[in-house]
Amino acid sequence: MQWTRKDLLSLYDLSGDEITYILDTAEEFKKVSERRVKKVPALRGKTVVNFFVEPSTRTRVSFELAEQRLSADIVNMQAQASSLLKGETLLDTVKNIEALQVDLVVMRHSAPGAQAFIARNLSCGVVNAGDGAHSHPTQALMDIFTIREKKGRIAGLNVTIVGDIIHSRVARSNIWGLLKLGANVTVAGPATMVPREFESIGVRTCTNLAEALEGADVVNMLRIQRERQTAGFFPSTGEYAKFFGLNHDRMKYLKPDALVMHPGPINRDIELTGDIADGPNSVILEQVTNGLAIRMAVLYLVGCVKK
Amino acid sequence: MDNIPELLCDEREMNAAVERLAEDIGKVLAPHPGDGALVGIHQQGVPLAERINAVLKEKSGFEPDFGTLDISMYRDDIGNRSRLPLIRETRIPFDVNDKLIILVDDVLSSGRTIRAALDALTDYGRPRLIRLAVLVDRGEPEFPIRADFIGMKFAVPPDHKIQVRFETDPDGSPGIYDIKWPKR
Repeated sequence: MQWTRKDLLSLYDLSGDEITYILDTAEEFKKVSERRVKKVPALRGKTVVNFFVEPSTRTRVSFELAEQRLSADIVNMQAQASSLLKGETLLDTVKNIEALQVDLVVMRHSAPGAQAFIARNLSCGVVNAGDGAHSHPTQALMDIFTIREKKGRIAGLNVTIVGDIIHSRVARSNIWGLLKLGANVTVAGPATMVPREFESIGVRTCTNLAEALEGADVVNMLRIQRERQTAGFFPSTGEYAKFFGLNHDRMKYLKPDALVMHPGPINRDIELTGDIADGPNSVILEQVTNGLAIRMAVLYLVGCVKK
Repeated sequence: MDNIPELLCDEREMNAAVERLAEDIGKVLAPHPGDGALVGIHQQGVPLAERINAVLKEKSGFEPDFGTLDISMYRDDIGNRSRLPLIRETRIPFDVNDKLIILVDDVLSSGRTIRAALDALTDYGRPRLIRLAVLVDRGEPEFPIRADFIGMKFAVPPDHKIQVRFETDPDGSPGIYDIKWPKR
């Protein structure tokens, strides 16, 4: 297989081979960060714009560091400072960015499909850093990379994703990627946040945590956004933690060597207790380390391919 | 059909050239036991370096450190290729500082791969010296880069490619071939 795409928009678009290709590429980029010189000239002379129309610290920092380690030149734009506030359309804004001869746009936007829309209208490459509840491909890739690194495979593993599935781009991207690589995926959480309709894409839905965790090789505890509480999706964070939080007692349902994951930032003692987040099964910080390698790989691939 | 590979050198001659390379490399590395290393450049430099290593071990009983290098991240034609091949494993399992390193590639053509390999290798440290060993020298470098150890020399037209095949390669019988290969 050879890489030919100029954009990374969603894992839904990619074949299992393409996903594996990104993971394999990321293995080599992970080593770059472990060297004496943590930098390669792969994107030397290229300019990357980080355009975050929705606030982000972790993802933006990870992308920025990945770009620096590839020797790209970087411009950061945030919505507060952009002319979107002055009434310019999104397309006009990105066309103006492209007119400055940039090579790649990394964008986060609250509207699902925003990156696919601009990618169709720009000749430079586009990387999706999160679009609403739709997709967050680099997050899912780093989760899948971490699982593959620890377990040696994806096919046949039981992966349970717990939390606010309906609003989660992390869940959707993980589901698409994991299914394409042959994992068995269960999604679990309060019935308000885990609609049965998800079963139509090939995952098991569950509203009982014990049942969802039984025999799992991997559990990914999604962050609960407190504003969902006021919107009535769950009564209180205390009740959420009581029914859907991962704690010492509930670890017994998982396989003994199961991986505990979280995309961060963690609400300690809500999604999972501190001792589990810091415990031997947790790979939460390794996800962060691997995120850098995945972003280097993705930027290299879409940045180096002929446009 | 002018794209049918033409055999330039058969397996026996090729193996003899590998043995000569190993012998010459052995002479340079022998006075510095423990300081020498072979680094093969992907793709065909790696199996070549493995063969040189095997001959060194068999004939002189010593084994230098061994590494592999992929130069994809250091290429000078970024953005000019519509398909990107998979990056292969770079493995430098020894301290590069103060080493005597023999870079190994199958064919020296433009010299651009070697330029990239020198950048890649020196990002790992500061070797005492780096020498270049190639099985085939085409004698037409675009950069001021020459090999220190040369198995054989072939002059072929610019739109031809010299292909080195080992017995472990899937695409046909071992030997060195000349293929018409228009530059893309």
